[in-house]
Amino acid sequence: MRRSLRALQLKSCWNASCKTFTGSRQYRSTSAPVTVLSALETIAKCNPALNAFASHIAPTEISSAESSDGPLKDWPIAVKANIATALPTATSCASRALGTYTSPFQSSVVDSLEGAGAVVVGKTNMDEFGMGSKNTFSIYGAAINPHTSSSDAKRKDMAESDRRTPGGSSGGSAVAVAAGMCRAALGSDTGGSVRLPAAWCGVVGFKPTFGRISRHGLVAYGSSLDTVGIIARNVADVQSVFGVAAVPDPLDMTCMSSVLRARIKALTDSRPWITQVQGRSETESAPLAGIRVGIPEEYWVNELSAPALESWKAGASRLAALGCEVVSVSLPHTPSALPAYYTLAWAEASSNLARYDGIRYGRRSSIRPDTRDLQNASQKYANTRTEGFGAEVQRRILLGTYAMSSAASEHYFTPSQKIRRLIQEEFDKIFALPNALSMTNTLASQTTRPPGVDVLLFPTATGAAPRLGDQEDSKVANYVNDVMTVPASLAGIPAISIPVGHTDGMPLGLQLAAQYGDDELLLLVARHL
Amino acid sequence: MHILWSVRASARHCASYKFTANVPLHRRYYKPWGATIGLELHVQLAAAQKLFSAASAKWDDPPNTNVDFIDAGLPGSMPRLNPECVSLAARAILCLKGQVQPMSSFDRKHYFYSDQPLGYQITQQRHPIGRGGFIELGQTDGLDYTKRVRIHQLQLEQDTAKSVHGAYPGYILTDLNRAGVALVEIVSEPDMETATEAVHFVRKMQTLLRHTGVSSCNMEDGSLRCDVNVSVYRGNEGRLSGTRCELKNLNSLRTIRGAIEAEVSRQIELISAGHCMKQETRGFDAHSGKTVLSRSKETAPDYRYMPEPDIPAVHLSEDWIEHIRSSLPELPEATLSRVTRQYGLLSEDVTTMLGEPGCISFFEHAARGRDPKRVAAWITSEIFGQLSYRAQRLSESTLTVQQFSGLLDALASNAVTSAQAKLLLIEFMDGDKRTADELIQAHGWEVMNDLGRLQDLATQLLDKHPKEAAEYKAGHKRRLNFFVAKIMATTKGQARPQDVSRVLKESLDGKQ
Repeated sequence: MRRSLRALQLKSCWNASCKTFTGSRQYRSTSAPVTVLSALETIAKCNPALNAFASHIAPTEISSAESSDGPLKDWPIAVKANIATALPTATSCASRALGTYTSPFQSSVVDSLEGAGAVVVGKTNMDEFGMGSKNTFSIYGAAINPHTSSSDAKRKDMAESDRRTPGGSSGGSAVAVAAGMCRAALGSDTGGSVRLPAAWCGVVGFKPTFGRISRHGLVAYGSSLDTVGIIARNVADVQSVFGVAAVPDPLDMTCMSSVLRARIKALTDSRPWITQVQGRSETESAPLAGIRVGIPEEYWVNELSAPALESWKAGASRLAALGCEVVSVSLPHTPSALPAYYTLAWAEASSNLARYDGIRYGRRSSIRPDTRDLQNASQKYANTRTEGFGAEVQRRILLGTYAMSSAASEHYFTPSQKIRRLIQEEFDKIFALPNALSMTNTLASQTTRPPGVDVLLFPTATGAAPRLGDQEDSKVANYVNDVMTVPASLAGIPAISIPVGHTDGMPLGLQLAAQYGDDELLLLVARHL
Repeated sequence: MHILWSVRASARHCASYKFTANVPLHRRYYKPWGATIGLELHVQLAAAQKLFSAASAKWDDPPNTNVDFIDAGLPGSMPRLNPECVSLAARAILCLKGQVQPMSSFDRKHYFYSDQPLGYQITQQRHPIGRGGFIELGQTDGLDYTKRVRIHQLQLEQDTAKSVHGAYPGYILTDLNRAGVALVEIVSEPDMETATEAVHFVRKMQTLLRHTGVSSCNMEDGSLRCDVNVSVYRGNEGRLSGTRCELKNLNSLRTIRGAIEAEVSRQIELISAGHCMKQETRGFDAHSGKTVLSRSKETAPDYRYMPEPDIPAVHLSEDWIEHIRSSLPELPEATLSRVTRQYGLLSEDVTTMLGEPGCISFFEHAARGRDPKRVAAWITSEIFGQLSYRAQRLSESTLTVQQFSGLLDALASNAVTSAQAKLLLIEFMDGDKRTADELIQAHGWEVMNDLGRLQDLATQLLDKHPKEAAEYKAGHKRRLNFFVAKIMATTKGQARPQDVSRVLKESLDGKQ
């Protein structure tokens, strides 16, 4: 499991990456906290160009609403268009099928945030139902990355297709945070949908452990993978939002109960080598001494670009400089994660999206079904669903339907479930902390440090944001970017993308991942990176 | 659930075979053929709320009034498992003497239809909450032999919405009140051999599930629905060698019987004529008395079962299961033998009372300090007569044990005649809240104990009807009833019939 770290031996890389590294630190610390008023001003100014919001409130609407007192008092928050809000604006999932649908109830997570003083300023652009990695499959049109590459900045005229994608599917949320149109944003992360756009837009994107934040009110895509995620400019803001949002919720049976939360807390607190880090002041020379960071070698894939590799090395060096022990680890099932992920996510998508039939709500086709054959149900559904869903959603529904059919299920769905279990077990073997779900009793406090790592470090994406107009060689190429993000989703473990480095002026992101339930440690390490 | 039969159409069945007769004899009903019958019962649980939402489970309220977000399949809504439904399902499998599974989980079964708001039904395909158990049929059920029908499994699942066809031309209307109401599907092993056994199985299941408060189990309102699997085989072949057909939507005991009889005959005739049996889903047309094809195997939908990701597995502890077991009432068979022995009643009467939920307890209250045979007779003849006339259940009736006990006491002390007592019962069941004594007083009823006045009445009557009196004397002793009826009418039932008849007899016989 522990290997020598071959990626970090070249001194030249070390120097080069330190430079980009410093650059990213400066970028992140520039602006003062965004207020509701400044957010609305920025929205008015920038949203027409960036297309981050599907809908937003007007400055006149905030004076009437008194926000609650709490840790998020008067924080302007943007909410992805697939999370139900009480705003009289659509929870459309950027789909024609829902269009102007407004939810009669509000999601639990937005309730929590508003209860802590946050003000929802608008609903953000996204890939339809969360399906996409570039925020291009949307009825609102593509969202635009606020960053411009250094070479493009010199150009006089730039076509729309030359602009950079913010990444998806929570593209609008990442753009809103990066451009100062809100202080923090909620997104959803099924296979990387918060982490990828955060990386490409140069902000922090956090996918908590599955079950830490209630999914009630989050429109389902792949229910066993869906997680509400948080995007902000810095880890401290993410922590503030997470502290308010990560509460038990009886409305979501898969949301962790207070009993499970207490068990996880007891388990994570039973590590003296971690508690001593938590007690240390940030100004110490080696604040993270005692923490072991794993570099999973399988993430060094062929597609990984040179700048992404550089930033990876820089991140590892930075953690080493902070006192961490950096070791190489192996997660041999990683290459199987992508096909398994897509099989499971699409199978669940085909199931979760079966309800959009235009009968009770949403858009219904104007083509009347043949009334002579009322018993034949499929006719009535086909028109509405063909018109309502975009190409990518249709592709995923059809493939997911096939993967679950009685003829194909044992070749696709069942093996994918097995791979998912293997990947989970593999993570359990790598981490020093046991998985709270596979434990019956909490451990007694340990005196000696067990083998295994506390966090993993690897890139969020294989490179920086591509241009909107870039054509991939095939449809499959669109999915390859998810190779870095889906393993954590399959395992249900927490992962966070932190901006580390640039290439040609475009931000790059690094991911940290930790054991199931170890979100607080993950955020602590991320805060230093 | 189609798990019990192999799906092969046996080539051997295609050979012609001389069809003899399907005259009902004894157990080998269809000699020399045998029939193999299994049932799938869908039972609506008596829970106040739906299986996965807090909406009321009253599906017959005004359309679309009991609908929670998940029942309409709104985006972002999530299911919440109702613990009451889990308890009721556990009660059901325990009263069938099966086992509650320590771990059960839910699955999605997909198909598009307007009665299915989510596009799938949440059910239990891989890990049902209950397995095993049996129902024993015997003499008390009307069979002259005993038969044990095993239970394969019991699973929790959602009911569908109600589709209303034809109310609005060109449209199917949808009432979501029923969407998400809790059902248990109870699957029997294919242990039954005749339609009679199947009908008795259903009847006994109704008794058991009503008795334990699991369900009202009425076929008329759909709280019990029945699908039947039927196959036939020749006497010398295996019981499961035939190809089965599923008969769906059989909504009364009579339909179940008719459909099975018709299907067995159809299959025997088909095979005898050299045809291959095909696996099909069929319905029953009561007018023609025949089963009709509704779906062949080729057009059967692919349900694409998938584990339900929104509901974690249900783990039930040994303690919890024991708690449910100990909260079960005495089961009907135990009640039957105890009540029969303890009160010296006929087992037929006890069986009848067992069929009515709450009736045994009603009886045992009323029988305290009274003649149990008399109490049982009143319940099974008078009260049941009224209930059936009113199409009511005992639990819905306004009649209280106190009223009934007061009535029996008044009768026993000769304070009222049995004709008056029957009137009292009617008033109680019409909703009168007064006690028996209060009602008797209000009516001003008392039994005419004045024999002298009866004597006078008799004398007057005989003078008025000399022809009938003469006939009586000529040997037509039944003419006595004519006079009894006249006096009963004159006294408005306040005289005891036995007194009247004695006085009349004395007058007639004495008046030589």
